[in-house]
Amino acid sequence: MIMIRSIVRPEKADAVLSALMDAGFPAVTKIPVVGRGKQRGIKIGEVTYDEIPKEMLITVVKEADKDYVIKVVLETARTGTHGSYGDGKIFVSPVEEVYTVSSGVKESEEVLV
Amino acid sequence: MKEVMAIVRMNKMNATKKALADAGINSMTAKDVLGRGKGLVDFGVLHGAEKGYEEAIAHLGETQRLIPKRMVTVIVPESQVPRVVQAVMSVNTTGKSGDGKIFVLPVTEAWQVRTGKTGQAVLDDF
Repeated sequence: MIMIRSIVRPEKADAVLSALMDAGFPAVTKIPVVGRGKQRGIKIGEVTYDEIPKEMLITVVKEADKDYVIKVVLETARTGTHGSYGDGKIFVSPVEEVYTVSSGVKESEEVLV
Repeated sequence: MKEVMAIVRMNKMNATKKALADAGINSMTAKDVLGRGKGLVDFGVLHGAEKGYEEAIAHLGETQRLIPKRMVTVIVPESQVPRVVQAVMSVNTTGKSGDGKIFVLPVTEAWQVRTGKTGQAVLDDF
């Protein structure tokens, strides 16, 4: 199983959440974060803003669904036709075990949405 | 080393902390998060309700929306993973949906900032 952590613009978070829902991936965890990217933040006049608010969306999916989920997030979170600085990043990491607390069951790859 | 990421109910936080401490897991990180599970969220209904349509408001209670949860992260040696999972399960299982999920992820490296040590020493107490 694969954990996909997408860091997106706060104003795009709702759009990504509903796109994921329509794509059949309802389970998401959302965390407000602040961060900066390769551009070292935004410089407006004398002031540099290097703690830019973003939303981190965490989903855990099957290996086979990875590319599709990434495509959905990329297409929804991008601004303008060619994208722009600050649209965010997607990080993918492996997950070895998943448990559902309510049932106490260790989930296998097939059961996971 | 493994990272155990548990997403649990907010009102179970104190019990979870106690259960982890009793199991000998002292160090942990917690974070406020919002989330939803496998239940369906109908954004059409949500937006409709915001605009004040009565039909949509009547539907509100039936659909699931983003719910505040607490995320607990613990880094432990591989052998301790079942103990952490067991501790979290023992206090958080109510049998209803919404109890949360536990994810186990690999951690390839860890460093202790205070001493600059790496590897297993990071997880040893003092």
